[in-house]
Amino acid sequence: MKDLLIVEGTLTPLSSKTHITYQFNIPGPAESLRIDFSYSPKVLDDKEQARVLIEEALDKYVDPSLQAVYKEQWEKFAPLKNLLTLSIDDPEGFRGSAHRHPNHQHHVLSPHESSPGFFAGPIHEGVWRVTISVHCVVTSECRYQLHIREGEIDHEVASI
Amino acid sequence: MKWLPFELHTHTPHSDGIHTLLEMCRKAAELGFRGIALTDHNTTSGMADAAQVTEETGVAIIPGLEWTTFYGHMLTLGVPYCEWRDLGPKDIHKGIDRVHRQGGVVGIAHPFSLGSPICTGCHWEYEIQDWNQVDYMEVWHETLPPMRNHNAPAFEQWTNLLNQGYRIAGTAGRDWHHSNDESDPPAYTYLGIVGDTDALTKEQAVDAIRTGRICISMGPLVTIELQADGQSYHTGDVIRRSDCANVETVELTVRIDHPSIASRRQMVQEEGLTVIVESNLGECCRSALADGATVFQHSIRPEKLLWLRVRLYGMLSGVLSTIAFTNPIYFED
Repeated sequence: MKDLLIVEGTLTPLSSKTHITYQFNIPGPAESLRIDFSYSPKVLDDKEQARVLIEEALDKYVDPSLQAVYKEQWEKFAPLKNLLTLSIDDPEGFRGSAHRHPNHQHHVLSPHESSPGFFAGPIHEGVWRVTISVHCVVTSECRYQLHIREGEIDHEVASI
Repeated sequence: MKWLPFELHTHTPHSDGIHTLLEMCRKAAELGFRGIALTDHNTTSGMADAAQVTEETGVAIIPGLEWTTFYGHMLTLGVPYCEWRDLGPKDIHKGIDRVHRQGGVVGIAHPFSLGSPICTGCHWEYEIQDWNQVDYMEVWHETLPPMRNHNAPAFEQWTNLLNQGYRIAGTAGRDWHHSNDESDPPAYTYLGIVGDTDALTKEQAVDAIRTGRICISMGPLVTIELQADGQSYHTGDVIRRSDCANVETVELTVRIDHPSIASRRQMVQEEGLTVIVESNLGECCRSALADGATVFQHSIRPEKLLWLRVRLYGMLSGVLSTIAFTNPIYFED
């Protein structure tokens, strides 16, 4: 196991609808790539804050004639959640993405098998990119950690 | 040509779906579908199992993807991954070109769903400079689509665009994440497939959507035929006005085929159906079908028509509702 990238950061709602890309070099062909990605918190717990954001969205997206009815049921749309997703580009191009909701994820890429969302194939040497797509941050702060390692082949192709 | 029911909007664990491709296609076969489009969020890696799953279930799998972006969700069909991460809210045409250049089609998914932060990027907010570049719109979304609030403005927007002279296909999509027996029923998107239907290809499905050979339905297949001066035109066809200049009326025939699948026949009441003929001039005709009748005919004056489609109205699970609608036949100068 050899570490390739260990990074972390703090986001605020201003980071919604942005991408964060890290570029790293794999010095020689590897047997597998292991990615651990997490962010926290997942959920906006503050009910009053959630209500304000939900009502704003209902004003924006619901036909005016239905807004009152929707607002009465605002709790149906709670809790609001942060959503960060991961995608990977290898030296040849797009290698897959994991658009899903859990905030702790483990992915493995290898020549014959990869975690769901990613394509199996050689772990070529060269410049790779990993992109965190920040779809939405609703909490005042959201911290993420990303850890990428080069690894050996085994049969563990896990994903959450 | 054969009309075959498809489900055009689906997910698996390759994005955030719960069911595997195999589980989903087994269920699709049970529900009467002949094909699905696999449209996982931002990846096509799920296609690796497609050939094997088709062999096992008989359900064709069309490669697709749901661009799950910050400013809208856009379905792409018939092409591999195309880049979206570099596009801003005014750049959608750059993205559409990437799909078209490779021979695929694009469709706006659930345009009037609630957007962020309730559902991130789910409401369409991209600025469209040229609606001619949009191949289709998912005007019926989720299960029991005629009864969902957010589909009403989508259907209305589609109609408004047709009125402005754009030829955009209307489709249904369940946005299928999970197979279980308790779910409400989804709609069929019947595609008019040309050529061999034993081994369906992505090209056949893409061609049907691009051409607008589509009927959306909770059960029965509704097809339309217009006879104009000895020529026959069907759903998706374009009639040149010069080709019906010598006649006062064109003759519309509507055919209704109830599916054989028992669960669908129970849900859509075959008695008490109403045929509604709609166009850019509004409703041309509304007529109750005699019980048991499956053919309806009507004469229509073609002048000033830009498009014409048929909507079927009746009892759906005990509630009066739109049951099906065809895509239009178009007119041009």
